[in-house]
Amino acid sequence: MSGAHHIVLIALFSAAVQSGTTLLYPTIGEIFAERAGILNLGVEGMMIMGAFFGFVVTYITKNPYIGFLAGVLAGGISALIHAFVSITLRGNQVVSGLALTIFGLGFTNFYGQKWINLRSPVTVSQMSVPLLSKIPYIGPIFFKQDALVYTSYIVAIVMWFILYKTKVGVHLRATGQNARAADAMGVNVYATRYWWTFFGGLLAGAGGAYLTIAYAPFWLDGMTAGRGWIAIALVIFAMWDPLNAMVGAYLFGGIDALQLQLQAVGVTIPSSLLNMLPYLLTLIVIIIATLIVRVKHISAPKELGIPYNREEK
Amino acid sequence: MIRFEKRESTSTSLKILIPTVSIILGILIGAVAILLKGINPIKVYQALLIGAYSSKYTFSETLVAATPLILISAGLIVVFKMNFWNIGAYGQYIMGAIFSSYFAIFWSPHIPKLIMLTVMVIAGMVGGALWAIIPALLKAYWEVNEVISTLLLNYIALFILKFLMYGTWRDPLSHGFPLSKPFPDNAQLPRIIPHTRVNLGLIFGIIAVVVVWYLLKKTKFGYEIRVIGENPNAARYAGMNVAKNIIIAMIISGALAGLAGMVQVSGIIHLLQIKINPDYGYTAIIVAWLAYLDPIVASFFAVFLGGLASGAYQIQITMQVPFGIVGVIESAILFVLIGSEIFMRYRLVFDVGKKKHSGQEETL
Repeated sequence: MSGAHHIVLIALFSAAVQSGTTLLYPTIGEIFAERAGILNLGVEGMMIMGAFFGFVVTYITKNPYIGFLAGVLAGGISALIHAFVSITLRGNQVVSGLALTIFGLGFTNFYGQKWINLRSPVTVSQMSVPLLSKIPYIGPIFFKQDALVYTSYIVAIVMWFILYKTKVGVHLRATGQNARAADAMGVNVYATRYWWTFFGGLLAGAGGAYLTIAYAPFWLDGMTAGRGWIAIALVIFAMWDPLNAMVGAYLFGGIDALQLQLQAVGVTIPSSLLNMLPYLLTLIVIIIATLIVRVKHISAPKELGIPYNREEK
Repeated sequence: MIRFEKRESTSTSLKILIPTVSIILGILIGAVAILLKGINPIKVYQALLIGAYSSKYTFSETLVAATPLILISAGLIVVFKMNFWNIGAYGQYIMGAIFSSYFAIFWSPHIPKLIMLTVMVIAGMVGGALWAIIPALLKAYWEVNEVISTLLLNYIALFILKFLMYGTWRDPLSHGFPLSKPFPDNAQLPRIIPHTRVNLGLIFGIIAVVVVWYLLKKTKFGYEIRVIGENPNAARYAGMNVAKNIIIAMIISGALAGLAGMVQVSGIIHLLQIKINPDYGYTAIIVAWLAYLDPIVASFFAVFLGGLASGAYQIQITMQVPFGIVGVIESAILFVLIGSEIFMRYRLVFDVGKKKHSGQEETL
């Protein structure tokens, strides 16, 4: 293979990781909310909130890391609305999540007009990880990225550890499987669900903020363009496991990067069909993943979407 | 101490009170949002009301926006009754518009109007139904989550529409804009109120509401989907075919969303383009919930939210208030509505200086 091809491929995979990062954060967040028994279909809304506040605060402070934190918080605070409606008031989680999406898209359209098409003055800088970045292929793809990408690796690994190897993880899983039994074990079901729903929002905000701070550093109305829904689909693909989420996120990041690359080099396939690819493939993958999940007898957390009422026997 | 206590029955007055309070609170939250933007909310709402209800023409535009909401929400109520979450009316609407437009664009303008419109109505319903059958089959046989599949199909439908509009369906005379050639007269739904855009689609909507009401209240199908919605396992024990009912319900839901798409292109804009307002598919979800899944009540909420949308279009132009305010108001209404459902099932009890009761039998 010639050197030029090599460089193109590395650039493509590297872009795949960046696009995948916008999905990896929200997917991990939703995995933990669902593990606690809360279905939050508001990921798209929380992501766009994170994207908007991430962009605006970066623009004003000229510091992408403060911007990122603002986006993370915006996602988390949005999630608290859903937490209150679905945990305290035991409302329908499907409708509440949809309302959250409508809210995020409406809010950012309403306040975002004057920011449209502005470009961020700063972006996160790339930094190579010593030693690791020297590994052939893997190095330039995974370890010549920015700090926010590295943070996402750490989040995935740490969250996997927490989920399967700690008491917190045991309690979390119990809450989603059987809230009454978890309660009997001494777990505070309400607090657990509140916290992980909030956490899910923080990470959805992170995914959105990464989009406007690093991957596409400008603001467009509705620019998350369904990434939140793809993240929800990836939760099933990942079988509720944060490490599997990495595989799913980079796979879809890859498709996204590929279709952009193909458009850039001007292939004759119409751009509308290329744009369709990630959604079409998500649909196909979700069908396959559902079938595999059934064969393997892995299931969604048993009490996903079911409110808990401590006083009702 | 405050706690919730189970009610024995749901009071009808709450079914009126809660949606009313939700709407009022939604409007107040919207006012706060407008205020934070430094605009006077009273002026905005005034303009919105004028833009939606003040004259015969503006009210007719409210009815124009209400028409697709009536059609789509009638269909959504059928599937929501069985707890099947069709979030895909957006895509089904687009497919209905595409299927019916095919005949308007490629068939002869000399075909008798009655035949042409009949074909277009059927095509629109078939287009919507076909797009709805996909998630229904996936759910019925493979248990694929319908929220995700219907949503992804929305995006896919939108890109199919874009593909056609930037491709072979574009009018060569459109100067490169993604517009089809204008529909000939034989492909335009007749308008039923002179000098307005209110068309036969509104009558379709009223028929749909009556048919859905009858289906739900008077037929075995209606009974079965209610049982499936409340307890799918009991339904299976009773020998009901859950898969068959999901598919039929989704065909109805998709067909009505597709018909709404047909009405939009044939009755309102008279051509196919990318901006055909498929967002009605999401707004109709709110309509259905505000009405507690009653098709007749839903048609009134459709007129209310239709007014909000058409009024908001006006203020977007006249006062530069972005259309997103509708999303803020609608989501606030939904949150309050969903959050208040607990009051339908429970009552609030204030225990002041009383010993704790065991619950259920207690009445105030």
